[in-house]
Amino acid sequence: MSRAKLEKLGLTLPLLPTSTVGSFPKPDYLLQARARFARKEITQKELEVLEKRATEFWVQQQEEIGLDVLVDGEQYRGDMVAYFADVMPGFRMGGLVRSYGNRYYHKPIIVGEIRWPGPMTVKWWRFAQGLTSKPIKGMLTGPYTIMDWSFNDYYPDRKSACLALARVIRKEVEALVEAGAKVIQIDEPALSVRPEELPFAIEAMQMVTDGVPAYFITHICYGAFEFIYPRMLRFPVHNFDLEMSNSGLDLIGLFKKHPFNKDLSFGVLDVHSHKIESPALIKERIAKALQVIPKEALWVDPDCGLKTRTVEEAQGKLRSMVAAVKEIRQALDKAPKRKRRRIEVGSVVKKRRKKIRKHKYKKMRRRMRHKKK
Amino acid sequence: MELVLANHSSYPRVGASREQQRLRRAYAQRERGEISADDFNRVQDSVVAEVVEEQAHAGCELLTDGQIRWVDSISHLAGRLDQVEINGLLRYFDTNFYFRQPVIKGRVAGNGPLVVEEFRYARAVSPRPIKPILTGPYTLAVSSIRETPLYRDLPTLVLDLSEVLAQEVRALAGAGAEVIQVEEPAILKHPKDLRLLHKALKPLSQAKGSSQLALYTYFADATPLYESLQELPVDILGLDFTYAPRLPETIARLGSRKTLGLGLIDGRNTRMEAAPQVFPILEKILPRLSGGIAYLNPSCGLEYLPRDKAVAKLRLMKELRDTFLQRGKR
Repeated sequence: MSRAKLEKLGLTLPLLPTSTVGSFPKPDYLLQARARFARKEITQKELEVLEKRATEFWVQQQEEIGLDVLVDGEQYRGDMVAYFADVMPGFRMGGLVRSYGNRYYHKPIIVGEIRWPGPMTVKWWRFAQGLTSKPIKGMLTGPYTIMDWSFNDYYPDRKSACLALARVIRKEVEALVEAGAKVIQIDEPALSVRPEELPFAIEAMQMVTDGVPAYFITHICYGAFEFIYPRMLRFPVHNFDLEMSNSGLDLIGLFKKHPFNKDLSFGVLDVHSHKIESPALIKERIAKALQVIPKEALWVDPDCGLKTRTVEEAQGKLRSMVAAVKEIRQALDKAPKRKRRRIEVGSVVKKRRKKIRKHKYKKMRRRMRHKKK
Repeated sequence: MELVLANHSSYPRVGASREQQRLRRAYAQRERGEISADDFNRVQDSVVAEVVEEQAHAGCELLTDGQIRWVDSISHLAGRLDQVEINGLLRYFDTNFYFRQPVIKGRVAGNGPLVVEEFRYARAVSPRPIKPILTGPYTLAVSSIRETPLYRDLPTLVLDLSEVLAQEVRALAGAGAEVIQVEEPAILKHPKDLRLLHKALKPLSQAKGSSQLALYTYFADATPLYESLQELPVDILGLDFTYAPRLPETIARLGSRKTLGLGLIDGRNTRMEAAPQVFPILEKILPRLSGGIAYLNPSCGLEYLPRDKAVAKLRLMKELRDTFLQRGKR
């Protein structure tokens, strides 16, 4: 549980902080402008004016809805990997590849040594943070996912490509922190795809986060977590942001078997459904989360980025979410205080370890006594 | 030894040009109710004809319809069965592709032909034989959510699905399919269920008539299972070499009683294979194969590549095969 880390960074958040995963739907005027830009009918500058207008809209919306930790809404980004690959030397944009249904993306190709081109996201972070007093998350895609979602014509193997990307993302993290970002989300939705590669994915994230004074979140979705849990808890971040609702909250079963010992951003909104969840349904989901995660360690957000929904759907879903959280906070405030007020997963684990050590010690003494006899 | 050039299964349905993106547009128009189901089918038909022609032009000798009409490998078949609903998205193995997960509500049953009409259309527009594709009963079952207590245990569902798919194999054989490909990537992740797969493939094998039944596995290393795969009731075994550095040695040591589909061309990466990578493997394993024929194919469906790279891989496959055979003659 990392409340202490947040406080050290000067961030005081309410119980069950609400946030979002990163992307919001682009308003029609921006979609049209992007299409016109692609056809070279408008300039980059003209497009940017509209991207800023859409960013302002979403920052204002998040404040109005009452979210606690905000995002810039990624109005200036297309695909989460292509955005970075587009500006990093070493990449060339490949053709369209389908991701599901009728969704396609340009999959980048690594064709040379990957290098940091200078800050890639800082300008937008500064712009969004300038619009609000609430914290804005720095939003990056992780090295493992960029590697996995790119073709590789250059590096001898996946690990070398991943570690090369880690060195570049580390520089971007440092630039964000220097600009003042305190919460940085590094998305790794591909993390669960090849369990045998988890060690080098962890090594890469260690290179990215090691010694950096920030609160790190990683977002993972639509994966086979059963193959990497609990090993994934070794991933060096403070908070795992997981898609839960699309998969029927089945991860809770895993957490019951082996305690989850980090902060958890719990996805309560299915971003692939047009239906706006009722506050009652969201409360039910949060209540289930609270069975396995201490309230101090729980954040609440959608399953994934909301960019696939309409503006109205995204607003409706978030309003429902915030309403549900407010009711739960009130209920938690009214609940009788326990004797030990702060239940920290970390301390539970420490106590359990101590108990095991004590047990082992007793067993060893018994054995020694037996030998002596 | 005859080395036949075969496509694996899927093929990119859109390309770089506006014309090659007509299916994407039609899909969106259909979702918005702007075009009729017939209009949408006509676009699908034209794209199937286009990708069949593209494969043939690249030198492929055994083609597929590119699975152009499939939403994904799982829900396209499962969604057509009784007592199955289609749910949220789940990642398809270790790819960046997502399928809609079936939810089994009651006893599964066939509800008419699944892909026979698709096969008939592709064959009618193809200058070369078409290989129909079916996702196998085991992979369908483990990719589904079993909500009904009828399927508390996995084997019951696998065997029921096997009965449904056997009907489809019979229909495809009756429609003239020379090779019917059943895909079972999931078995490599759950090797303990190999005996169950054996049982599930029997009805398919009994229904195949004079067709050849091919079992294709991919997205994991088949080496540890290679000997057991040889025991399965199929005629052709398709193997993904990109995950399996020790597979050539194993085949060289044990040989193969079955015709092999050699997935030596990486269907997941744009890097083009070179002769020094491919030829030593062919030299090592071809002499150990029986039956006088083997298939050279991509390691998996080509839909994971952009269209220009997919066709380049098929052309490369032909170039490598022809050079290899000519070298042998010299």
